[in-house]
Amino acid sequence: MVSVLILTSITLPWIGAILVWAVGNNRPTLQHGIAVGFSLASGFMSASLFLYPSNEMALSIPIGGAFGNFTFVPDGLGVVLAAIAALIGSLAVIFSVDYMRGDRQLGRYYSMVLLFIGSMVGLVLTSNLLLMFVFWEMTALCSYALISFYNDDPKAVTGGIKALIMTQIGGIGLLFGALIAFSSFGSYDISIFLQKANTLPPALLSLTAFSFLVAAAAKSAQFPFQTWLPDAMEAPTPVSALIHAATMVNAGVYLLARFYPAFANVPGWTTAVVWVGVLSALLSAGMALVASDLKRVLAYSTVSQLGYMVYAIGVGGIFASQFHLLSHAVFKALLFLAAGAVIHSVGTRNMNDMGGLGKQMPFVRNVFLIGSLALAGLPFLNGFWSKELILEEGLAHGPLWAFIGMMMGAGLTACYTLKCVWMVFYGDQRTPLHGHDAGHFMKIALFILSIGALTSWVLVGPLGTLMELTLPFHSIKAHSTGEILIEVLTAPATLLALLVIASGFALWVWRNQLSRITDLMTGIAEGARRSFGFEEINTAIVKGTNSIAEFIRNTQTGILSVNILGILVGLVVLLVSIAVLSILGA
Amino acid sequence: MSIFTFAFISAAGLLMIGLYTLLVTRNLIKVVVALQILVKGVMLLLIAAGSASGQIALGQSMAITVIVADTIVAVIALSIAVIIRRKFGTLDLNAYTTLKR
Repeated sequence: MVSVLILTSITLPWIGAILVWAVGNNRPTLQHGIAVGFSLASGFMSASLFLYPSNEMALSIPIGGAFGNFTFVPDGLGVVLAAIAALIGSLAVIFSVDYMRGDRQLGRYYSMVLLFIGSMVGLVLTSNLLLMFVFWEMTALCSYALISFYNDDPKAVTGGIKALIMTQIGGIGLLFGALIAFSSFGSYDISIFLQKANTLPPALLSLTAFSFLVAAAAKSAQFPFQTWLPDAMEAPTPVSALIHAATMVNAGVYLLARFYPAFANVPGWTTAVVWVGVLSALLSAGMALVASDLKRVLAYSTVSQLGYMVYAIGVGGIFASQFHLLSHAVFKALLFLAAGAVIHSVGTRNMNDMGGLGKQMPFVRNVFLIGSLALAGLPFLNGFWSKELILEEGLAHGPLWAFIGMMMGAGLTACYTLKCVWMVFYGDQRTPLHGHDAGHFMKIALFILSIGALTSWVLVGPLGTLMELTLPFHSIKAHSTGEILIEVLTAPATLLALLVIASGFALWVWRNQLSRITDLMTGIAEGARRSFGFEEINTAIVKGTNSIAEFIRNTQTGILSVNILGILVGLVVLLVSIAVLSILGA
Repeated sequence: MSIFTFAFISAAGLLMIGLYTLLVTRNLIKVVVALQILVKGVMLLLIAAGSASGQIALGQSMAITVIVADTIVAVIALSIAVIIRRKFGTLDLNAYTTLKR
């Protein structure tokens, strides 16, 4: 039963992808229908996995001797992320029915989205490192293809290639770790790795730990790789909501959480994780404050919130990080989709041109408001509970400087959120834009997500129990929802955080009165506008990769004889090395 | 010389002939012929290896699979050759490198 659920939630979207492509772009209604149907079916299947959680292998596909079986385990970490991927995936697809209506290349769009949903579910459910790498790369491919979806726009193509190259760094890190695991234990199985990690030589273990950290930072757009995510905003907005806010960028956090028990004792690793989290959260919150493109603000805020999750893992709060991951996936998907409705309606992403749109699109304003209050961490939305849980863990188990940094981050978050809401929906209209409220399909998706943002925190108790029962290597203590709520409400960190959030709001409300102080910050603001110089590092990596590729391209002569010569030389090298090895062995 | 040694040497000979032809020829039809010779060497090798290791049926069934695939390759390659001859007016390989920069 469980194996059927796992298999269908991965393969149903893939079947849908083939069908959407096969019916052709001449029948858009059918394409919308197939995409919605198959993504909903996959969402239903992966949500049903909640009924059968276990830490036992539930599905094993034998693929011959060399690589071990492809195994799947529906444990607490995997089930939560699979449900997020498939359910928010189906909401993004429903939203796309309105958003992409009239597009002439729906087949390409929907097949990539559906391929992504299946791969993401597979990525979090598999317990084979090699298969995880394969799924990891498939999500990167879909992300690239969808960022560059409008492929006659050079910015979209550049952004796609940048995202592909930067996330490949992550892929290399993951492959490296997987190969170390295989050469040490003769197996790609993750639970074997977690079990025997202490028997590895310390140098090798810390090499694996840090290569996984690089992999996670590149995939989750964390410091110092954070600049690919804002450039990925050229994608259609439902894609940004699904891939670049709710699911794929969480893969890095998932990787760190999954392997935390093995790496927690590696010297310097948790400190490095905390550093990455704090720097990402603070720097990108600053960048969000000065950005004027609506989607880029949300992208910087995603990096910042992912920084909170990474920080939580660094201080040992695995459960807090996963809970915030759930909250963030819901409210950030809501924010992106609402922003998509605005952009679709007024045709620009520049917030300086917007203003006063709230009267024209009241429904979108209301749901956007719910999402942004959850992002700012206002009681009693889902973002409040999870962020407070992280801050509480940080105060209890982490260094004080990191806690102060995260507090400042919370203040900045409140400030840029209020600024964003104000500039889009309130105040005077700066340019004559004609907004119309969202379409029916958009409203369905937005409504469900806003209900989620208001209520998903009631799951905190059951989630804790689920993780405690199915993650034998992580020491997670489950509490009931009520206990956690009282704990959060009475913690000193909460009051402090609320004060900081309130002062963040105040900073924006009284910005004119405080102008003397804010003028002092212009230097920092200018630095933030230039992304503190990290754009240069990222551009240099992209340029370097491109020039190496151009150089290797010379080997593609297109002449048959040259290729055959290459084959012969390869054959000779292989035979000689086999001969040498057998002589040495004998 | 045992029958196995003979089969292995013959297979290696066929492979060498095929690779050598691919290395030197520029005629598309000859390329297809060379590929066929190459694959015949592989088939012989499969059967010989099967009987040498005692798994005769496995080697033979592999060889039959290769025969099927190989026939399809030959048919498609020759039909492509016909189209190319019509489009470019020549069978010289170096004339078709239009995908190269």
